Amino acid sequence: MSEPLIWIHGDCLDPRSPALRRWPTARRLFVFDDAILDRYRVSFKRIVFLYESLLEIEGIEIHRGSTVPVLLAAAAETGATRLVTIESVAPGFRRTVRRLEIEGPLTVEVVPPDPFVALSRGEDDRLDLKRFSRYWQVVKGRALSLNRSLDELI
Amino acid sequence: MKLRTDFPDRQTMIDYLREQFPSAVARSPEVASLRGGRRAAEELLRQIDPARYAATRNRMNGAVTRLSAYLRHGILSLAEVRLVALQRGGARAEKLVNELGWRDYWQRVYRRVGAGIWQDRESGKTGWAPRDYATSLPPEIPEGRSGLACMDHFAQELRQTGYLHNHARMWIAAWVVHFRRIRWQAGAAWFLEHLLDGDPASNNLSWQWVAGTFSTKPYYFNRENLERFTDGVHCRNCRLARSGCPFEGTYEDLHVRLFPRVPMPEGGRR
Repeated sequence: MSEPLIWIHGDCLDPRSPALRRWPTARRLFVFDDAILDRYRVSFKRIVFLYESLLEIEGIEIHRGSTVPVLLAAAAETGATRLVTIESVAPGFRRTVRRLEIEGPLTVEVVPPDPFVALSRGEDDRLDLKRFSRYWQVVKGRALSLNRSLDELI
Repeated sequence: MKLRTDFPDRQTMIDYLREQFPSAVARSPEVASLRGGRRAAEELLRQIDPARYAATRNRMNGAVTRLSAYLRHGILSLAEVRLVALQRGGARAEKLVNELGWRDYWQRVYRRVGAGIWQDRESGKTGWAPRDYATSLPPEIPEGRSGLACMDHFAQELRQTGYLHNHARMWIAAWVVHFRRIRWQAGAAWFLEHLLDGDPASNNLSWQWVAGTFSTKPYYFNRENLERFTDGVHCRNCRLARSGCPFEGTYEDLHVRLFPRVPMPEGGRR
């Protein structure tokens, strides 16, 4: 099976992210998307910080343009039918993934980042997020337990 | 368009980026001293001191971690910082882990409400209606020309460094929303422009926490509080220190002044 394309975005700049570890030689791209830079009026210092972080990712290609067309063109060029990326909770991320799946069409694999604390799917859905205190009451024991952290990493 | 990735040094990279991103440079040309990348993040991670963090974190010169920009961009994970904190601090790491939990919490809320982080999550508790708040920041606030030495210092620090201590963020937010009566969204957008750790979830929901649209009561502070945690450095040089400081007064005084339509909540002071 051919290697996937790896999409690096602003929520996953770790050079040792699970996606990069799993496919150490796959082509990986980051896109500075003008629409996003303009929407948030991103200042120059934030761009410098992102760029400097990106340069530590071995083999990174940094593009400027519109995210979906840039990724689709790269996939077509490489012959990749799959794209791998790290999950983000931002609504724009989900929209981009849907567009890649429809317009590619690419098979998109979204890898979750290492969780702060591991919750079961059911616990996750039931979590009361009205106030931090309610959330903390549920996760505190696990968050403060070193043994459980080590178990989760193994 | 593919951008360059081969630079002999940082300055060459910065010069190249100035050419590539002229509109961002036009908005604000500053470059922060905080370095991007995993190596810089690991260096800071090696220096964390969970016990000192717990004891001093509210002070401007306290032992805060400075890891926020790396966490925000997934250069470090909450999971690994939590592990290092617990290994190093044991039970004394509780406060630091609790603060990491705040980021996890904001991310979970963002996952549920999406773009709703830009709207009031709840009705306000200040006695004022949304229409009572101005919709945009007057230029003297982001430019640091308000005349208040503390707030002007923080505004300039934000612009120069892309970073503010959490306590300074809370003071600025309370000043903008409650003392100047400006919508929290205007302040949130200003912060997102500059903060290297600017994350829509943590940022906007924290502004809402201060505003009282995502908390049980609005957050505000008085001069004594600000002076205590800054060692009074700003007041010493402030032309409003003797008279005209809007933060002067007890919490009860300020409550009456800022929120005249609502009674002081139980346990009032915060």
